[in-house]
Amino acid sequence: MSCSLAHLCLLTLLSPPLSSAASISPAEPISQAYSLALYMQKNTSALLRTYLQYQGSPFSDPELQLSSLPPATAFFKTWHALDDGERLSLPQRAFLALTQHLQLVEDDQSDLNPGSPILLAQLGAARLRAQGLLGNMAAIMTALGLPIPPEEDTLGLAAFGASAFERKCRGYVVTQEYGHWTDRAVRDLALLKAKYSA
Amino acid sequence: TAVISPQDPTLLIGSSLLATCSVHGDPPGATAEGLYWTLNGRRLPPELSRVLNASTLALALANLNGSRQQSGDNLVCHARDGSILAGSCLYVGLPPEKPVNISCWSKNMKDLTCRWTPGAHGETFLHTNYSLKYKLRWYGQDNTCEEYHTVGPHSCHIPKDLALFTPYEIWVEATNRLGSARSDVLTLDILDVVTTDPPPDVHVSRVGGLEDQLSVRWVSPPALKDFLFQAKYQIRYRVEDSVDWKVVDDVSNQTSCRLAGLKPGTVYFVQVRCNPFGIYGSKKAGIWSEWSHPTAASTPRSERPGPGGGACEPRGGEPSSGPVRRELKQFLGWLKKHAYCSNLSFRLYDQWRAWMQKSHKTRNQDEGILPSGRRGTARGPAR
Repeated sequence: MSCSLAHLCLLTLLSPPLSSAASISPAEPISQAYSLALYMQKNTSALLRTYLQYQGSPFSDPELQLSSLPPATAFFKTWHALDDGERLSLPQRAFLALTQHLQLVEDDQSDLNPGSPILLAQLGAARLRAQGLLGNMAAIMTALGLPIPPEEDTLGLAAFGASAFERKCRGYVVTQEYGHWTDRAVRDLALLKAKYSA
Repeated sequence: TAVISPQDPTLLIGSSLLATCSVHGDPPGATAEGLYWTLNGRRLPPELSRVLNASTLALALANLNGSRQQSGDNLVCHARDGSILAGSCLYVGLPPEKPVNISCWSKNMKDLTCRWTPGAHGETFLHTNYSLKYKLRWYGQDNTCEEYHTVGPHSCHIPKDLALFTPYEIWVEATNRLGSARSDVLTLDILDVVTTDPPPDVHVSRVGGLEDQLSVRWVSPPALKDFLFQAKYQIRYRVEDSVDWKVVDDVSNQTSCRLAGLKPGTVYFVQVRCNPFGIYGSKKAGIWSEWSHPTAASTPRSERPGPGGGACEPRGGEPSSGPVRRELKQFLGWLKKHAYCSNLSFRLYDQWRAWMQKSHKTRNQDEGILPSGRRGTARGPAR
């Protein structure tokens, strides 16, 4: 008898709070996420520079896009009017896709540029930071009682069999988008920081 | 969209290439008109291009240079508005040359580190992979070294599972997109290439008041103490602001040495290194260790400089190789045979020298080491 009661107590301790009342203040996780995003922002142009240095000719074509990555650009009015849920879930989806794409680029580059530990290290670091930001954003969503979007495979089947040039191109798009999404995350988190500051 | 052919070709330096860019699909009616080529971002002169048919643009490149980056030269087909339609990476270079000059050493018989030099001309323009292989001479399969770049870009470290008293065959294989090359095989026994740590605990100190001597002491490297070997040591020393080292060679099986003929009132830096000579009774020398960390000491001050040296001074009575002392030894030997002074010895000579230096400090004038006619007037050591 007492066994099952204790079991019940334990279960309620482990399960997340059902109500959307903010029992945990979101200010702390928002501040942490914001600091991380700022730190990432400082390194994004270095990553892009290092990447281009090893690939060769400047990939100056703005048309290059990957359909598997959501674009960071948005109309200002639309972006400003986003509710908390969208403001967090859109970057959440984007950085999830970015961690997967950065892994792909890292694999591509270890084949294309095997003798370049600096580039591979920077790509690895970018991927880990993106993962960190995902964790931070999940904490914010939990604090706000929002559902965390499930992890999905964003790369699909298109990843294999690409030529060397195609791989260089997609790596360029990924590192660029990583920069764009980091810039956007800084703006999103700054808005949330202002909204939920104590 | 378009497609470039060939995709990612590998070519020898100086060869030619014929490439095509074929457009298809959207926008419908797309033609080869207005398309152009760039190589590594630079637009290629139009005379190298040719329209083959309505949807294909050809390119003829001759006498290609080595690739500008190891990830390949970027050959790109652009639409009239400059947008990228397709690309292909060109890998232009040379096959690897035979790696040469393999040298290996074992630290305390526990591991093996090898170094090599890539073939004579070095630059292949392509990523070249080096693999160090080894096997026991009479037996077994090929092994591949796994820990690379331990002491420079062309080096590898084998950390364990090495047999002693049996020869290994070692070689390096170089491979790139254009081919491979194998170095000559080096045969060695681990015991022949042993090195050890530099001697620990090197101490340099003054020898009483002697202003031209310093005493160096050290401990034999502990790692090899269980294996029967005679250590050989080498000492080098230099004056503080000089770059010229004096080397004392042939210091066998001692753990101390007295440096003589030094300048008084001078700071000296001293280093010692060890050679594990004759491991397991072999007559061969090993490989010299690194020099120990420099230890410094200064000689006592004086007005009188001494002559240069290059060997360890004896503690008591043993002959050494300095010119003055050699002659003195001969003289003493002659004296013993032909004269009465049988108590004469190097010890007595050293005592006399120490006394001479002390009493010189109280004099105003400098003379030579053996001032003529003065011996009788000064007070010497008692017989």
